[in-house]
Amino acid sequence: MRKFAALLTVLMLYCITAFAQTKPITGRITGKDGQPIEGASVRIQGTRTGTVTNPKGEFKINAKDGAVLVISAIAFNPEKISVVASQGNYSLVLTPNANLMDEVVITAGGLKTRKKEEGYNATEIKGDELNIAKPVDVAAGLSGKVAGLQVSDVSGGVNPNYRIVLRGQRSLLGNNQALIVLDNVVVPNAVLGNLNPGDIATMEVLNGASATALYGSEASNGALVVTTKKGRKGVNQVQLSNTTTIQSVAFQPKLQHEFGGGGNGYGVTQDGLPVFSPIENQSYGPKYNGQMVDLGAPLEDGSQQMVPYSDNGQKEKFWKAGVTNQTDFSVTSGSDNSTLYLAGQYANVSGIMPSDQYNRTSLRLNGTHKILDNLNTTYTVGYTQNRYNITTEGQDIYNNLLNIPGDVPILSYKDWQTNKFGNPNGFENPWYQNPYFELSNNRETVRNDYLIGSAQIDYAPIKDLNITYRIGITTTNSSYNSWTGKFTYTPYAITASGGSKSNIPGAVTSDNDYYTRLSSDFYATYRKAVKNFTFNLTGGTSVRQNQSQNTTASVSGLVTPGLYNLSNSTNFPTANSNSYESRLIGVYGDFKIGFQNFLFLEATGRNDWVSILNPPNNSFFYPSVALSFVASDAIKALKNMKSLDYLKFRGSWSKVGQVNLTGDPNSTTFGAYSLLPTFSQANGYPYQGVAGYSVGNQLVQTGLLPEITKGFEFGTDFALLHDFATVNLTYYSTHTNNQTIPTSISTTTGFSSYLLNSGEVSNKGVESKLSLTPIRSRNWTVSVSGNYSYYDNKVVNINAALAKLPIASYGDGSGSYAVPGLTFPVIEGIDYSRDSKGRVIVDATTGLPQVNQSIQVLGNAAAKDQLGLDATLRYKNWHFYVLFEYRGGNKIYNAGGPTYDWSGQSIRTVAYNRQRFVFPNSVYEDPNHPGSYIANKTVVIQNGNGNDGFWTDQTENMGVTSNYITSAAFWKLRQINLSYDIPASVLRKSKFIKNATISVQGRNLFEWLPKSNIYTDPEYSDAGSASNGIGLTNLQAPPVRYYGGTISLTF
Amino acid sequence: MKKISIIILSGIAVVMLGSSCKKYLNINANPNQSTSSTPDAVLPQAIVYTAANISSFNDYGAELGGYAANAGGYGGFGSNWTYDFGPNDYAGLWSSTYDALEDLQFVLNSTQGDSLYPYHNAAARILKAYNYELLVDTYNNVPYTNALQGTTDLTPTYDDAKTLYPLLANELDTAIATIEAANTNVAEALTSGTDPLFGGNETSWIQFANTIKLRLIVRASAMVTFSNTTFDANGFLATDAVVNPGYQKATGQISPSWGDWVQTYTGGNGNRAWMPCTFVFSFYNGTKLSDNARGSVIYFDYPATPNNQLGVGLTTVPSAPATTNGWYSGSTTSLGSAPGIMKGPNMGEPLMLAAESYFLQAEANVRNIVSGTAKTNFYNGIEASFNYLYLLPDDKTLATGLDPVADAATYEANNATSYLVNYSLATTTAQQIEAIITQKYIALNFINSQEGWNEYRRTTYPKIVDGSQDGTLTFASTLSQSSRPDKLPSRLLYPASEYSYNSANVPTGISPYTSLIFWAQ
Repeated sequence: MRKFAALLTVLMLYCITAFAQTKPITGRITGKDGQPIEGASVRIQGTRTGTVTNPKGEFKINAKDGAVLVISAIAFNPEKISVVASQGNYSLVLTPNANLMDEVVITAGGLKTRKKEEGYNATEIKGDELNIAKPVDVAAGLSGKVAGLQVSDVSGGVNPNYRIVLRGQRSLLGNNQALIVLDNVVVPNAVLGNLNPGDIATMEVLNGASATALYGSEASNGALVVTTKKGRKGVNQVQLSNTTTIQSVAFQPKLQHEFGGGGNGYGVTQDGLPVFSPIENQSYGPKYNGQMVDLGAPLEDGSQQMVPYSDNGQKEKFWKAGVTNQTDFSVTSGSDNSTLYLAGQYANVSGIMPSDQYNRTSLRLNGTHKILDNLNTTYTVGYTQNRYNITTEGQDIYNNLLNIPGDVPILSYKDWQTNKFGNPNGFENPWYQNPYFELSNNRETVRNDYLIGSAQIDYAPIKDLNITYRIGITTTNSSYNSWTGKFTYTPYAITASGGSKSNIPGAVTSDNDYYTRLSSDFYATYRKAVKNFTFNLTGGTSVRQNQSQNTTASVSGLVTPGLYNLSNSTNFPTANSNSYESRLIGVYGDFKIGFQNFLFLEATGRNDWVSILNPPNNSFFYPSVALSFVASDAIKALKNMKSLDYLKFRGSWSKVGQVNLTGDPNSTTFGAYSLLPTFSQANGYPYQGVAGYSVGNQLVQTGLLPEITKGFEFGTDFALLHDFATVNLTYYSTHTNNQTIPTSISTTTGFSSYLLNSGEVSNKGVESKLSLTPIRSRNWTVSVSGNYSYYDNKVVNINAALAKLPIASYGDGSGSYAVPGLTFPVIEGIDYSRDSKGRVIVDATTGLPQVNQSIQVLGNAAAKDQLGLDATLRYKNWHFYVLFEYRGGNKIYNAGGPTYDWSGQSIRTVAYNRQRFVFPNSVYEDPNHPGSYIANKTVVIQNGNGNDGFWTDQTENMGVTSNYITSAAFWKLRQINLSYDIPASVLRKSKFIKNATISVQGRNLFEWLPKSNIYTDPEYSDAGSASNGIGLTNLQAPPVRYYGGTISLTF
Repeated sequence: MKKISIIILSGIAVVMLGSSCKKYLNINANPNQSTSSTPDAVLPQAIVYTAANISSFNDYGAELGGYAANAGGYGGFGSNWTYDFGPNDYAGLWSSTYDALEDLQFVLNSTQGDSLYPYHNAAARILKAYNYELLVDTYNNVPYTNALQGTTDLTPTYDDAKTLYPLLANELDTAIATIEAANTNVAEALTSGTDPLFGGNETSWIQFANTIKLRLIVRASAMVTFSNTTFDANGFLATDAVVNPGYQKATGQISPSWGDWVQTYTGGNGNRAWMPCTFVFSFYNGTKLSDNARGSVIYFDYPATPNNQLGVGLTTVPSAPATTNGWYSGSTTSLGSAPGIMKGPNMGEPLMLAAESYFLQAEANVRNIVSGTAKTNFYNGIEASFNYLYLLPDDKTLATGLDPVADAATYEANNATSYLVNYSLATTTAQQIEAIITQKYIALNFINSQEGWNEYRRTTYPKIVDGSQDGTLTFASTLSQSSRPDKLPSRLLYPASEYSYNSANVPTGISPYTSLIFWAQ
């Protein structure tokens, strides 16, 4: 309060003392984040008169009306203020000059460097940019923004899982996801999704291994180096904001709306048309005609549900609109010796799946304290808890939803407790459950608590020497309880359904997990300048320890309905627990030589010792070298070129590795204890006090080594015409050897998998970015940018004995595979037999397509082309931002596709109006000339219906993978934002609000898919976020769009 | 000066680090799972694993061999109807059997030549031969000589089935010799705990080995030469070889067949998609033979039990009984603690019935492989069948009021005009073999159905009428795509995993209609 009063007094004072001629002008210069800019130069144009801003960003200068003040500050674009008679106080927001080569960024190991010194591709993203569309998960804000970075929402749901990969996949079965570094501490990937995006100051994307070699055995996948906000000296402010976001279905699978329940299996009419069935789940019955029909069997009370036989369109309305509400606050403060940043966020999400809930609360306290002039301390503490209450049967619910004909009034079954036709006893379909009953009867509650913190001391005992010690901790404490409710059917319902409705015994699973990761880093940096050279030597050690423990127990067969406890059962619970521990010691050095501030050579080396491999194979050395040449500083002719702001060339080489005993970056097994085969009790043992063990099915190669990625990259960065255009170009190439593969082997060996070092993958690609800012004035800013990346990876070899390696596959063998000589991964599966022209061979009499039962390559699963296009417009206080993303060059196997056909819902099944048809583009063998084929125009498939016809035939239709493979290309409107800063003149009346912004924004608002993709979002991955087996989707909830509004206030 | 002290200090730190580094990293001992084990701990599990697999083989035999047909309310039978098998059909038989074999191989490797463990060694060897015979009878050539060697051979070559059969017989001889040579003062005896098959009765093990060897020789002596065709004096199985480690209605411990076909341990439905096949049913209900005694302990609601012909479509076929679920429980109301095929959740899993042993001996008598009276063994087989079916889940106690001897006699009297029952009427060798195999087919109904199916393929008994659409005359699917005259498949394909991981060795061009198991017709 005292501060406001003081400010008020000052303002009044200025008003009173205003006079003609030169008058005292005051003002305040801030950045876009509202932080004051200290030391900005304020100069009266055409004179030598000038001043600089104080730590609060304030200045005072005497100037005449009509004078022009030129404001400039390092790292910001210059701006001008025209002094007018009516105004004595000006506030100005400077926009950062993002391309300044002297900007200091944080790189591997927490070391700081200037952009000009980086010999590799790195992109810095400001927190504001990440948060522009107000996502709950930071990853969602990253999509499409950085060349070479692929962020995929693999799951949908209330808290989607994201898969974050830089420069494509290089490890066949190991982890390919970017390393996440939070405030210089390497953290598990799951931490990223539990950060409040508002807490992020910057994120440095280090695309390749050269940039990250100092991280040693975790470095091969590039890194996202996240730095959270800190307080700033002389800035005391409070921010409050609230965002409300709606989620609604953005893409509905294409369904047929013409035919209802029944099929030829129930008989055919005189005209050969299929007969209606009131209980059939498959929609292969007669065409809708609007007449009243029975639905389901009569109930015990004699009542019979009747509906008009027509599609009521309720299936698509099953998904509801979800709402996300985020409330944020942050406090920033700073004095001469210490700074403070305190923030909190509460986000509450309800999803499109009815009754799914998620909420997340996060708190953060970051601070610095200067103890001595040469002794600084820094601390960060983040606490996040998230809670889920969701159904466990998402896919099955979707399956059930599809297996309900279109005339069934699904929405009325929501109240299954009160609606007798929605109740399981009276539900029309004896084989598939009421989706509403299923979602309320199969649930889980999940609790995850994260504590992430770091403490750091920086000590400079002598000039040019700096010693840093940092300790970091990430600890996760989580539990879940999942259950299926008990349901006892009435004897009538069981009998009426022919026993297909059978009692649900109920089950409970309880799980507790704990995970702690401790890291301790110590390093010293020594700087020395000798004539034209600068030397920078860093040496350090890093020690890491991972510990986890997990206990799970479950029981089936509940006694008291509604009580979900392990003790509530007629059976004993089965339980198991596991604990894991792994350690790593690293010793590293970094040596940098600079010549005349335009040529920089950096060499790094690191040796790691890991506990999860056996000596001597547990020690590895990872070197890298990088060279950066700022031509625009070195060559006078370039330096003098007015149109060239800067021009830099860079190149680097590195060798890094990772110990890939687990492919999941969030795995809490850490790959520990993987070297020896195990024995475990099996087949019901122990029985009656006797143990019975089975030999484990995995063999392990003796002397396993880590995977090694060797690679180089080179590129250039330049800016033209005072930042009118900036360009980054990078080419890279890597080879990853010694892949650690638990490869499947013939079961006749007695084992089913063999963990060995084998295989090589090569990755090559280009990353490019072009930014144009055609207009930059006080009132207007227009900039557009595009980033494009292309990559090509190839499995060079796997193992002499292995023709291919399944990465993620289904029971029928279809799935995502690594195949030598091909890009990685590819989709494999079953196809029809084809002639040399690719036409399908059909039986000459039945017209049925012949199936080639061998599993073959059907397409590339990795998106090769990725394009991000964005535009920023500012007019006075209005800001507009839009981002589009395209990915393509790949295919997707919609493994849920057969269900659409089975249920008779898919649009495919009405391609021939359910009549007999000639299989398209087909041939049959010439009876007179075996081996040659005649184009088929006449031989028809007689039963062009489902139920017992072609469309539900496992062999000829549903089991043929290629029927469900489509292009995986997409265009998405990733982000859009329109915001308005309420003018200072308005806010001044409130006396205490410094800034107020109102915005509306959306994410994934529109999605454009190729016509062939009638199923779902190709970003989804049925194999989950941890698996490299991309290219597979299943019955995941439909993709959603997000849109909402935000109010943000600064005090 | 300051600088130097820092360098020294950090030097010391590095040295200290180096020496403690080794210790610091030495934490990779597995606290969660054993990395070693003993024959005592593995053998019982391997026996129970074999029993679980037999339940799967029985399913396969029942679905192909005319014991079971599709039930109402289910679709998607695909290749079960067409016999157009793909490499994924029944692929679990292959992988699970080799997995069980690896456990047996572990016992063999860790007991070989060890005077402490001759009985473990012999038991593992006998079961190894038993499991390999299952594989050969299903797949013909399979990896044997180079199999089960882990990393030593990642792509084992396939042994010719014809050479494999005599090798298996030799293994059985070796096992018998091992038992007989055991030093009883030193050797650790098998117990009821470590031997859930015979409870440590070594005579039974020898008889079991003899009977498996007899089966090999009976089946193949016409086309391969066995090095030793004599049999140990302990003779053949006279009791049922039933594995029961203490199955009970509890998590993971329910009797495999019961859990699959009747009820899970929580009371959930078993498999309702299959029902009694009209073909086999005709041997009970008087169509071909009259066998009310066995029919009513086997079938739900006998003789009114609904039955179906494989391939006959959805709507006309009744669904599984709503209240008791199981088709193979000879009662309309209660489940468990009953005689018949599905006796209860605690019932054992037969690896070989005494009935099968007798019928094998009878055939061996007819074919002069072993001396003895075929007729005696034939009737003993029938009686043993009645006996097994009349036992309660403990496999020891006869159900109250049921007398296998008397009922077998009644059966023989009621069907006195049929040479399939009245052995005296079977005058030709062909008729004798037909009677023996048909009775074996009946005795193995839904118990060891795979043997019924094997014997059909070897002998073409029980007789069917090729191409008939009458469900009592053939058990071939009405939707069969088989090119054989009998419209049946000849074998399964090798699993897809072999084509993926052992492609250089796995035989190619296998047809489910024309490729034959070496002893098959």
